[in-house]
Amino acid sequence: MSVGKEKPQMATDEHRLGEGVGGTTRFLARGDLEKLVAELLGAGTRVVAPVDAGKGETEYRRLASFAEAKLGAALPRRSLKEFFLPPTEELFRWRREGEALQLLETPAAHVATVILGAFPCDAAAVQALDKVMGWDYRDDPWFGRREATTIVALACNGQDGSCFCTAVGLRPDAVRGADLLLAANGEGYEVQVLTPKGRALVDGHAARFGAGRDTGSANVIRAAARERVAKNLQATPEKIRGWLQANFEHPMWKGIALRCHGCGACAAVCPTCHCFDIVDEPEGLYEGARRRNWDTCQTPVFTLHASGHNPRPDQNARIRQRLNHKFRIYPERFGELLCTGCGRCARACPGGMDLPELLGALEKLAASAPAPAPAPGPAAGALIPPPGGAR
Amino acid sequence: MRDLQDLAAKLLTEKTVGLVIGWEAGPRGARPSFVTDPKDAGKLISDNRCVHNLAAYLSPRRPHLRGFGRIAVAVKGCDVRAVAGLLRETQLRREDVVLIGIRCGGVHDTPTGVGPLTADNLADRCVGCEVRDPARCDHVLGELPPSLPSRGGRRAARIAELEALDHAARFAFWREELSRCVRCNACRQVCPLCVCERCLADKTDPPWIESSPHPRANLAWHATRALHLAGRCVDCGECERACPAGIPLNLIGRKVAAVVERRFGYRTTDDPQVPAPIGAWKPEDGQEFIR
Repeated sequence: MSVGKEKPQMATDEHRLGEGVGGTTRFLARGDLEKLVAELLGAGTRVVAPVDAGKGETEYRRLASFAEAKLGAALPRRSLKEFFLPPTEELFRWRREGEALQLLETPAAHVATVILGAFPCDAAAVQALDKVMGWDYRDDPWFGRREATTIVALACNGQDGSCFCTAVGLRPDAVRGADLLLAANGEGYEVQVLTPKGRALVDGHAARFGAGRDTGSANVIRAAARERVAKNLQATPEKIRGWLQANFEHPMWKGIALRCHGCGACAAVCPTCHCFDIVDEPEGLYEGARRRNWDTCQTPVFTLHASGHNPRPDQNARIRQRLNHKFRIYPERFGELLCTGCGRCARACPGGMDLPELLGALEKLAASAPAPAPAPGPAAGALIPPPGGAR
Repeated sequence: MRDLQDLAAKLLTEKTVGLVIGWEAGPRGARPSFVTDPKDAGKLISDNRCVHNLAAYLSPRRPHLRGFGRIAVAVKGCDVRAVAGLLRETQLRREDVVLIGIRCGGVHDTPTGVGPLTADNLADRCVGCEVRDPARCDHVLGELPPSLPSRGGRRAARIAELEALDHAARFAFWREELSRCVRCNACRQVCPLCVCERCLADKTDPPWIESSPHPRANLAWHATRALHLAGRCVDCGECERACPAGIPLNLIGRKVAAVVERRFGYRTTDDPQVPAPIGAWKPEDGQEFIR
């Protein structure tokens, strides 16, 4: 394992630079991290971090104090998406008085938030979702929360055999979507400042951050983590995308989901599944609220037509949709995968469906039956214009 | 294990069944396995990681499992209760299924469990198990393993703790637990007895149960589900295992089962001929609520 030679290669890696200002390195001692959190909490900033959730599991939750944070432990049960797209959210209320119908705007108050110890796969997912949330319509609640939130990611050591971020263009220490990336180096954290928001956090608490002192040990740890995860799955998403494009009716789909219960736990824990349902809920006779709620393509009602016809009649069709959306449709529309390789779907599935295993199988199919190269950009005849295209 | 593989291969070769549902070793511990080719029967396993109640796959809500003809399914003694529930409620015809009973020495609380069972890793429902030797099956395989590790019933103790709380504190406990529910419906989907073709919770006109995961609707959903499963829940624990929010749904199921037993003298049984309280009436049933 030639981990010592990794550094120059990483400096040129696109993921290291992300999409913001790139690469300034600072140092944050453990004691200073604790003080930083105390300062943030003291200033009324909401701080979210992984906390203990029993049975060795963690969840991202709002901290009352730094002591609750469990940084660098288990991948939280659910991803970060609920802090930007809550499981339920009121959009507006209505009230009827006599003949008059009043629409009452739900005030958008987005609390200044720092997410500390975000897993890189979760931070990357939030950035991937910016594309769909800001496409033909700019989703104000999403971007309101995005703007109010600074994401401080912590380089991950790799969780277990279900991690596969390296197979979907990321790494356990990817910086996509993060404003700062911390990497443990034994004494504290090396800090990469990645965006203006990250810069503002560092500058606002300048006493906490020392000058960057690159000990090299963080790089050793990071390289080892990458190697560990890369062993789980080798895949080429472009090939898989081409295969998916050419094989919508392939016989393998008929048996793809025999063990799937259609429970949707995969979508609930997925950092990138973002489908929602909009419902009107009366509260009494004269008023009510319009809300949007998480939804999932894994249920029959998701596609059930008013006529009773269901174009996705069974679980095989629904799993095919899930794979297509993540690995073909989203890349076609937005130029990136709708999967960050966190492996939560595989861990959560009560029926043992396993996305890394399925991707491995698709990779093999793609290799054995070379598909035509994927068409650049949206498929011909697409009903929906590409992002930034004519409306 | 070998006898399960041999039997599965035989049933498929002789075309007695078109599909065998059992367990296999997957990337993350044991998982349900679907074998249609006798050559694949060698991947079937039966060990203490075979947590899953495979009777769930016999439910009529799984159209993608129709079309295989008759199905053979591997069941532990406790799983037979779920099959009996489906038979009792005419959701399944006995002649459409071949039951392969597996003698059981208890299972881990998760299919990723490793090593021998201990008081710490044993599934809650195995404590005090009376059906280690499955009844009413077409085939029964394996030796009866040594007795289960015994412990004082942690779950029973937890229910007693909750009962000891006053109403407000108990309500606060459940409000907190249910606040994590995102209404993904995993609990319903994996439940072998949630057989409704159109669940009440999916009805939108009128919306009997709001679909938003706010506290009011979460309480309505879980209370409704508990009542719909009263006297039907077989304590397989699949709902709690499937819950991505880690809500202790089993506590609700077990508490309701205790109430049903006290009031109606009924415990879920593997005998489909014994009617469940929801479909039966006895003169001695407590009737005070309609007096």
